[in-house]
Amino acid sequence: MIRGLWDRETVALMVLAAMLPLAAMWLQVEGVDAAFKLVFFLVFAGIWHLLFMLVRAQPPSFAGAVTALAIAILAPEELGVVHLLLGVSFGVVMAELVFGGWGRNVLNPATVTLAFLGFGFPAAPWPDLIAQIGWAAIPAALIGLLTGVFAGRVMVGALAVFGIAHLMGVDLSGVYPAIAVVFVLLVLDPVTSAATRTGRLLYGALFAALVVLFLIEWHGAAPIQISAAAALLASLAAPLLDEIAIASWLAQRRRHLG
Amino acid sequence: MRWTLRGGLSVHAADLPAPSGPVPVQITEEAGLTATWDEDFRVEALVAEGDRVAQGAPVLRSRRYPEIVVTAPMAARVAKIGLNAGRRLSRIVFYGESDAGRHEFDTNVAKRLDDSAAVRLALQQSGLWRHFRSRPFGQEPRPDESPMAIVVMARDTRPAAPDPRLALAGRESEFERGLRALLTLGDGPVYVCQAGAADLVDAKGFDARLRIVRNGGRHPWGLAGFQIHQIHPAAPGKPVWDLHAEDVAGIGAYLETGLVPETRLISVTGSALRQQRHVRCQPGADLRGLSHGFVKPGRHTILSGSALDGHEARWLGLRHRQATVISGDAGGQRRHWFLSALRGASRPLPIIPTAALDHAMGGALPAAAFLRALSAGDTETAVKLGALSFLAEDMALVDYVTGAEPRFSEVLSAVLERIEQEEIG
Repeated sequence: MIRGLWDRETVALMVLAAMLPLAAMWLQVEGVDAAFKLVFFLVFAGIWHLLFMLVRAQPPSFAGAVTALAIAILAPEELGVVHLLLGVSFGVVMAELVFGGWGRNVLNPATVTLAFLGFGFPAAPWPDLIAQIGWAAIPAALIGLLTGVFAGRVMVGALAVFGIAHLMGVDLSGVYPAIAVVFVLLVLDPVTSAATRTGRLLYGALFAALVVLFLIEWHGAAPIQISAAAALLASLAAPLLDEIAIASWLAQRRRHLG
Repeated sequence: MRWTLRGGLSVHAADLPAPSGPVPVQITEEAGLTATWDEDFRVEALVAEGDRVAQGAPVLRSRRYPEIVVTAPMAARVAKIGLNAGRRLSRIVFYGESDAGRHEFDTNVAKRLDDSAAVRLALQQSGLWRHFRSRPFGQEPRPDESPMAIVVMARDTRPAAPDPRLALAGRESEFERGLRALLTLGDGPVYVCQAGAADLVDAKGFDARLRIVRNGGRHPWGLAGFQIHQIHPAAPGKPVWDLHAEDVAGIGAYLETGLVPETRLISVTGSALRQQRHVRCQPGADLRGLSHGFVKPGRHTILSGSALDGHEARWLGLRHRQATVISGDAGGQRRHWFLSALRGASRPLPIIPTAALDHAMGGALPAAAFLRALSAGDTETAVKLGALSFLAEDMALVDYVTGAEPRFSEVLSAVLERIEQEEIG
């Protein structure tokens, strides 16, 4: 009869809270321009959320703010307002709102926006994230882990593969900030990551493996571009990984129960 | 049985000190036995309104299975027999008359425990049969049903639930006799689910079908559904029964003496109480009588059952061992009309797979996949993941944690009902 707290908006607020260290560090490094960029994306994503609330009766979500932050940090630079608006609209509307809002989407809207901008305007340079921002991703991941909105298994899976890659001699030092920021902002998103135990391990590992593969094989790509492409492919594979995990759970259970 | 540490949550329903000291016996002035419309319990009255009945005397008989009766919870006068259309029981109310005595059954044959049919009949004619619950679907078992397994719940992790060990203290021999009686009812194993290091019974003295299980962690692992899911899943045609350990001791005592147990241990708790306490009261006790004198001033709602899975009631429910008194109205807070309209428009609310969700399902199964299958009406996947071992009460923790709308307990009930109809049809 009593009701608890962990409905959709609580989770969204916790994700947002986890992003705060990252956002604060980024704003401090990038200065006033970044703040304007963030406000621009916040307002625009907010307008789409409001429109869908009025037309389709979909409650707006604080997750829209996380999307705006992710796009503001990761979107290519030197793009015109129209280009950015196109990208954000495509991501927010086609990847999230048409599915019924945050919680029902299959892909992270920020990931889709980045993919759209990356493929649509390949000449635009990707931002260069400095090391401090990369380090700020660690407290962000920890806050998410402690509040339970980020899955520890995804982190374990990714760290394991990166560790193996490091031991095999792949140089990750230059791309570390981009990978860490994308990992926290896009890959750990509780809605679009895998949702089973084994699935989460596989999902984290797949993301890391794709990043390593692109680092070796995709010449001339920016670190953020590599990480965002890996995040997109990994979250496309997430339902499949969950299916695999469920099938193996069922097989194990059948064996255990006889 | 393999010991595994699993997930689960501790839910604090009220910040009251746990009761200590001897447990008082409190037989309330009034008592009532109720059934819901969905239970479809069609009865024939064996007594009339105004009759004096002894404690344990048969008062109602099932029309579908005439072997099964309901007995009077206390020495009383029958105040009211409420029947709905089709003679479905809605409630039968008693006013206490302490000099009406106790009804004694003849259990001399059943006591020897060598004749399964005699034990069955003895349990059915005394109303103790109603303590069994058969899964899938959670009804009282048919008189001729043979369980594949029986799960005895000697642990209860609902918030502020009374410890079954307290209920069993000093009744070890009755509990053992009850377990021996359960072993005669079917060919399958009898599992005793318990917490703590010390075994409740010495399994060596029994045949190998008696197994002691220490499974899982905090709530919901003290619910029969999760234990059954883990150790012996139920399926159509392969029923698994569950009952509370105290009722097993009651069966043992009944077979020895022929007297239906008078009381059960319950906890009276909740945010609107000044003091949490344990009492031994009769089945169907008047919840207002139990909480009278302990309630804080102000509006309150009395639930039969725990704060998570209870429902507003006047009388203690059949299998409930808790009365919860919560402050305010049980419908939650009012929202602005616009927000509630928005919330209503987006039902069923999306499920975000977080650690809270995994723990609310005790880590027993892929929680997000299971709940998504339920709310999408994907019966096949839900059954594959184990839906048939669960009942509405098992989903109460998920409902609490996620604030889901519609509640998963209702969704699961609807899904089970549909499966049951398909099975019959």
